Amino acid sequence: MSAAIRIKNGKVYDPINNVDGEIKEICIKDGKIVDSVPSDSHCIDAHGMVVMPGGVDIHCHIAGHKVNLARKFQPEDHRHDVQPRVGNLRSGTGGTVPSTFTTGYRYATLGYTTAMEAAVPPMGARHTFEELHDTPVLDKGYYVLLANNVCLNQLLEKGRTEEFKEAVGWWLNAAKAYAIKLVNPGGDEPWKGRKNSNVHNLDEQISGFDLTPRKIIKALIDASNDLELPHPAHIHCNNLGHSGNYKTTLETMKTAEGRRAHITHIQFHSYGGEVGKNPTSQAAEISNYINDNPNISADVGQVMFGKATIMTGDAPLTWLLRNMTNNKWINADTECESGCGILPFSYQEHIYTHALQWAIGLELFLLAKDPWRMVLSTDHPNGGSFENYPKLIRLLMDKDFRNEQAGNVNQKAIANTNLLDIDREFTMHEIAIISRAGPAKLLGLSNKGHLGIGADADVTIYDEMKDREAMFNAARYVIKSGELFINNHEFCSDLDGRILHVEPQYDEAVEDIIRPFFEDYYTVQFDNYAVDDDYVHGAEVIPTKSR
Amino acid sequence: MKLSLHTQPDVPLEADVIFPDLLLEKTVSEAAALEIFHGNEKTTLGDFFTITDENNDGTVEVEGDLSKVKLLGSGMSFGRLKIIGNVGAHLGAGMSGGEIIVEGDAGDWVGREISGGRIIIKGDAGHMVGSVVRGSSIGIQGGEIIISGSVKNELGNGMRRGLIAVGGDSGDFTGVNMKAGTIVVLGQLGQRPGAGMVRGTIISTHNAELLPTFTYDTTYRPTVLKSIFIYLRKLGFSLDDEYINGNYQRWSGDSIELNKGEIFLYAE
Amino acid sequence: MSKEPDIVKNAICTFCGCVCDDIELTVDPDGKRITKATNACVLGKSWFLEHKVEDYPVAMINGKEVSFEEAVEEAAQVFVNAKFPAIYGLSDTTCEAQKEAVAIADYLNGNIDTTTSVCHGPTGMAFQGVGESTASLGEIKNRADFVMYWGGNPAEAHPRHFERYAVTAKGMNTPNGKEDRTVAMVDIRPTSSSLIADIFLQIKPGSDFELLWAMRAMVKGKALDNTLEERTGISMEKLENLVERMKNCQFGVIFFGMGLTMTRGRHFNAGALLELATDLNDFTHFVALPTRGHGNVTGADNVVSWQTGFPFGVNFNRGYPRFNPGEFTTSDLLGRGEADALCVIASDPASNFSQKAIEHIKSIPVISLDPKPSVTSQLARVAFTTATYGINVAGTVYRMDNVALKLRPAFKSPFPSDEEVLRAIKHRICELRGIMINKTAAA
Repeated sequence: MSAAIRIKNGKVYDPINNVDGEIKEICIKDGKIVDSVPSDSHCIDAHGMVVMPGGVDIHCHIAGHKVNLARKFQPEDHRHDVQPRVGNLRSGTGGTVPSTFTTGYRYATLGYTTAMEAAVPPMGARHTFEELHDTPVLDKGYYVLLANNVCLNQLLEKGRTEEFKEAVGWWLNAAKAYAIKLVNPGGDEPWKGRKNSNVHNLDEQISGFDLTPRKIIKALIDASNDLELPHPAHIHCNNLGHSGNYKTTLETMKTAEGRRAHITHIQFHSYGGEVGKNPTSQAAEISNYINDNPNISADVGQVMFGKATIMTGDAPLTWLLRNMTNNKWINADTECESGCGILPFSYQEHIYTHALQWAIGLELFLLAKDPWRMVLSTDHPNGGSFENYPKLIRLLMDKDFRNEQAGNVNQKAIANTNLLDIDREFTMHEIAIISRAGPAKLLGLSNKGHLGIGADADVTIYDEMKDREAMFNAARYVIKSGELFINNHEFCSDLDGRILHVEPQYDEAVEDIIRPFFEDYYTVQFDNYAVDDDYVHGAEVIPTKSR
Repeated sequence: MKLSLHTQPDVPLEADVIFPDLLLEKTVSEAAALEIFHGNEKTTLGDFFTITDENNDGTVEVEGDLSKVKLLGSGMSFGRLKIIGNVGAHLGAGMSGGEIIVEGDAGDWVGREISGGRIIIKGDAGHMVGSVVRGSSIGIQGGEIIISGSVKNELGNGMRRGLIAVGGDSGDFTGVNMKAGTIVVLGQLGQRPGAGMVRGTIISTHNAELLPTFTYDTTYRPTVLKSIFIYLRKLGFSLDDEYINGNYQRWSGDSIELNKGEIFLYAE
Repeated sequence: MSKEPDIVKNAICTFCGCVCDDIELTVDPDGKRITKATNACVLGKSWFLEHKVEDYPVAMINGKEVSFEEAVEEAAQVFVNAKFPAIYGLSDTTCEAQKEAVAIADYLNGNIDTTTSVCHGPTGMAFQGVGESTASLGEIKNRADFVMYWGGNPAEAHPRHFERYAVTAKGMNTPNGKEDRTVAMVDIRPTSSSLIADIFLQIKPGSDFELLWAMRAMVKGKALDNTLEERTGISMEKLENLVERMKNCQFGVIFFGMGLTMTRGRHFNAGALLELATDLNDFTHFVALPTRGHGNVTGADNVVSWQTGFPFGVNFNRGYPRFNPGEFTTSDLLGRGEADALCVIASDPASNFSQKAIEHIKSIPVISLDPKPSVTSQLARVAFTTATYGINVAGTVYRMDNVALKLRPAFKSPFPSDEEVLRAIKHRICELRGIMINKTAAA
């Protein structure tokens, strides 16, 4: 097991334990934070440095079929951003969709040690684990797409809610997922078989089903709560990107009826205006609702200018964007489970909508009264690469920088927001909340996001610098599970990470319903479908209350 | 400066340091110490080339059988690079200025993604002259590529601006996905010229079979062709007067795209 | 490990890209052969039933039997002494072995390429240019009411493709199977597949691109020259009817084979077809899929992509991955005489590459891994006999639609797996190069 490490003289930010910039010693042994280590232990003098728990990304796209399609789709994006091999680390390529090894190393470089892949159809689980296995350093899990699952939706339309819940439990186990993901609930049916259309409001009937998006949303929020999953239903609302969609977002949040729910990349769902016309900002409206409703949490999905790759289960959206940009485009349907669209994209300062999206994201951060429930993401690589996080942090911490940047973008867009009226600057403590403590808490990862005794020894040490972008761009030390991965800005030795998943209890009798469905409508044998333990070696099962 | 190949490489030599911007600032011994890749082995320019300090007129001269030497002149922005012998792939890739002259044949990807400058090849060249790289849609954005001999497929793929002239034949898909710019082929065009072209001009002094998405407009004597041909004559192409003063069929395409591209074929 | 089962249910056939996973294998009590392969097609049956454990040496150097360790040492020496080592093949082995091969290429600063570069490589290049609309095969089974095959003969190459996925398969919106579908075939000659088609277009050889381009123009309502029939053999009227049917179906699919991708025009042919399917999405839901041949060629594309960013033809000479088909694809670089060592996994380039490439293969040291002797293994400096994936070796494979499946091997082989051989070579290379590869498991 790893040697003990003592970190001394560092300014520690550990919001979960109410440590706000105190000079404090952190001791590490056997992969955990401990109260003391022998005096001759390896010592890191963190004088002039900031010590934080390792970053936790609650929503990104880093592994699985759609990610790999996007990766092999864009050789032109990798070519100028290579990751040469160092020591026993593997080489790779970057760009907006880096190769797996590069993804792990670059996350770690920013001080991140946990990341959650946000959208995988269960049939793609095995492939996702293959890639996650090759994504070093990080602990990681993924959210399984269930809101367009034909078998589940058939149970739901027949009102078989108990069996529905059991089936959800079966699917979470079969796919070894971490949480339930909803993407454009009910939108796949009209997209796939009925002339490429979509659903547009929560109470509209889904073609071919006696069912509405609202019923699906409610059922999966209930299932997440009733199964006592560590993370609530993770919802990509309907009407992403459409003007006026904030109403759909509010309706979705109301559908939770006070139960826990997480709205993801909420920036893309906070637009006013009329469909087909330019959007306006409804960040204030959305923020007010979340401020007043502690059952709701969100991540922002900030847009950052420059190259991005749109990749989403929301296929109709990418078709729309494809027709606007005429870029090369991918559509990829998964039988009975999901749709998917991919498109290279570029956010440009001078374009009204892009500048507005950028400003709305910042408004959402800055208007949030409770940073624990409005956490950091760019929906990597949809709003921009995770490599933009340091710049985003600077935008939040440095008002002058923010206003200066706002001066360089489409002014009509900025004028349609309240961005320039907001004086708030995030403190270091708040940054530690939105980038590690908050996401860890929302994920129910009780051993992550903090530096209390018994926590996983995932620790990041940054040089304290006035330029926050430079500061967060490259951690001086990164310790993962008690092992040094970055030592004085240099990679040490390659590290594996763990798979995180849940195993909620369910009634095995439900297999008698699912198996015949497979025989009729899937092309994979029921017995060959579930992912077995080989694919998650080194896994950690995060307990649900019932198990 | 003059470089003579003294040792034939066993595997491709990636000599991307051979371009005037860099070499003309170096002494002979500094140049010899520049690092290059022989396959996966780091080696130096001096391990393969005898370097002498001749012709101080801003010209770098390279001689020998360089067919396994890649990336000569890549990224250059000024000066002259003169190559006596055959040369390997990626000649002048990404160059923005200056001039490359090859007294021999060149490999594939001559002048891919260039934005300026001029490449002159006295012999033949390979596939994808003046083209995109895979995955990208934008090819060369300026500059001139002048080839006396013939070329293979995908000449000027994705071209956006500039001039490419070929004295011999071109391969299949000449000017495929062109955005704009001018391609002249004095020999025979291969199959499917101009497929997917948006704008731009392809000129040939021979007849060719065009895709069904090209439509015939008219036959006339476009003055612009005359000035292009006269310019090519100055560059050393031998062109009969009948081509310079002759009639040309004008075809529009590709209708699948904007239909704003034009192909001119010599009409006897 | 307990004793081998006599019956393996839901076994997975890796003979072709269909990767059928419903095979029931009966294993002879001697544990050395399969006596029955229920549900398998004629190709699958011969794949399973004809597989025997032969009495080959585990390893040979220059045709002489040696120990496994000696062969690993020799292979590692060949590799580390090469300046441009090339690794090739990989489409008939597990993803686990493919990962080891990429790791070797990375640690060696070598070149890695798969048989994709000589089958659907053009499709991969076309995909990078224009994208694709695609689906898993169950979507075709459940929804497709218009099915087209272009330049392939699935009845012979993928015998269960019709029944399991695309033609007679019965699904949610296609409860009557073939009755609910229009089936169209495009080929240069009638085949056993075209017999079942409702619409057959016999096109002139080498006119695929023109026909696809004309269809795209029709879909988009753009101008079209009237020489079409003369050039392709298909009348304007017939094509218009077809295009109308395609625009008006509920869910359409075009499968395409090497008849399209390996004839003149190559990646442009594939690109035209992918773009046609995309264009049709203006009217209805439409997808396109290549019918991949080898049992895990799709896995090779995936593994190489996630590890390097590029699907095939990847070069690490400079310490990081670079991609350029034509430059780093094996048949091309051997044809130009560029590699100075070659490692072939489950493929036989010495029998099917160009004459120039084969001559070069003969002039350099070759390492081969194959369950049975091949032309390549016969001329190899170091030849390993390996166990057969799917029959003797467990692991992951990808179906032609990118669905990953876990193999259920039937019985043990006395030979090591490709993965084991490659890992041993990798370890030795790293020792020789001073690379400490033992990862620290952070658990």
